[in-house]
Amino acid sequence: MQIKRGRLSMVCVCVVLGFLLALQFRSTRDFNANLPYQRTEELAARLQQMEKENEVLRQSLDELKEASGVEKYSKFSEDMKMISGQTAVEGQGIIITIEDSKQGSSSTNDPNLYLVHDEDLLKVINELRAAGAEAIAINGQRLTAMSEIRCAGPTLSVNNVRTAPPFEIRAIGNSKDLVAAINMRGGVADALKVWGIVIDVQQIEKLYIPAYKSSNQFKYAAPTEKQEGE
Amino acid sequence: MVYSFLGLIIGLLLGFFVPWSIPKAYSSLFSVALLASLDSVFGGIRAAMDGIFDDRAFISGLVSNALLAAFLVYVGGNLGIDLYYVALLAFGLRIFRNLGRIRQYLLKRQ
Repeated sequence: MQIKRGRLSMVCVCVVLGFLLALQFRSTRDFNANLPYQRTEELAARLQQMEKENEVLRQSLDELKEASGVEKYSKFSEDMKMISGQTAVEGQGIIITIEDSKQGSSSTNDPNLYLVHDEDLLKVINELRAAGAEAIAINGQRLTAMSEIRCAGPTLSVNNVRTAPPFEIRAIGNSKDLVAAINMRGGVADALKVWGIVIDVQQIEKLYIPAYKSSNQFKYAAPTEKQEGE
Repeated sequence: MVYSFLGLIIGLLLGFFVPWSIPKAYSSLFSVALLASLDSVFGGIRAAMDGIFDDRAFISGLVSNALLAAFLVYVGGNLGIDLYYVALLAFGLRIFRNLGRIRQYLLKRQ
């Protein structure tokens, strides 16, 4: 009797032990499979893939647009396309190159002061527009009415495309006015040079500015005949 | 002995096909409890070979060891003392000692 009962308890314990072992084994394996960094890698790979697909689709869209030839070439639509950045433009203008400070930041100062930020570029862009710039592009990204300029980690995002310093801002307009606006005493260039940020302005006779590469889609806004106050 | 192995295999299969898994927070508690029960099982085998196996002592030892180990690790975690490693070391040492006894016993029997 004694032996039989002992054997039964042993069997029960073995069942429980095996159960626990398997459970622990499976859980450990699941944890290893679900590490967060793997998720990050997966997302980054997917983002890259999507960007590639996007590029391909954009190209086919351009081809189709050319092939269809429906677009009217009136003066008005040409102007509209230039304003909205749908066509590449050429003309006299300036190239501004802005780069992070070469000065090693001292330990007492905030290293952020020595880097180019979205605010700096926004100030420059604003100055250019005030001086009558007709078309502006940052690192090949044409600025439109809906373009954003913002910090995205160590890089900058313009038209949802990330670029890293040095930033090349191209602007078409009266090049003398544009240069004067940037180099104004106490203006943007002066403010940035205090921190050693390298800013270089170049006048170009025939400057090329690319078109806005994505397509505009209006999800919420629709044209209306209503007048203000109605 | 054969029944025990059968039981072990049934348990393993059950564990593999059950949909639950242990939350990460309780993983260390669970592993210490597992080690404690492993230790008890080896102790039980040794006791059986020495002829002093008592199933009540065996079961109570197993349950209390596992629970106490998990409890100690839990308390240690809240106090900032890593009792996890202490439990691992203690049970590990005991498992190896018991294994040594079992091996000697098997060798002597031949």
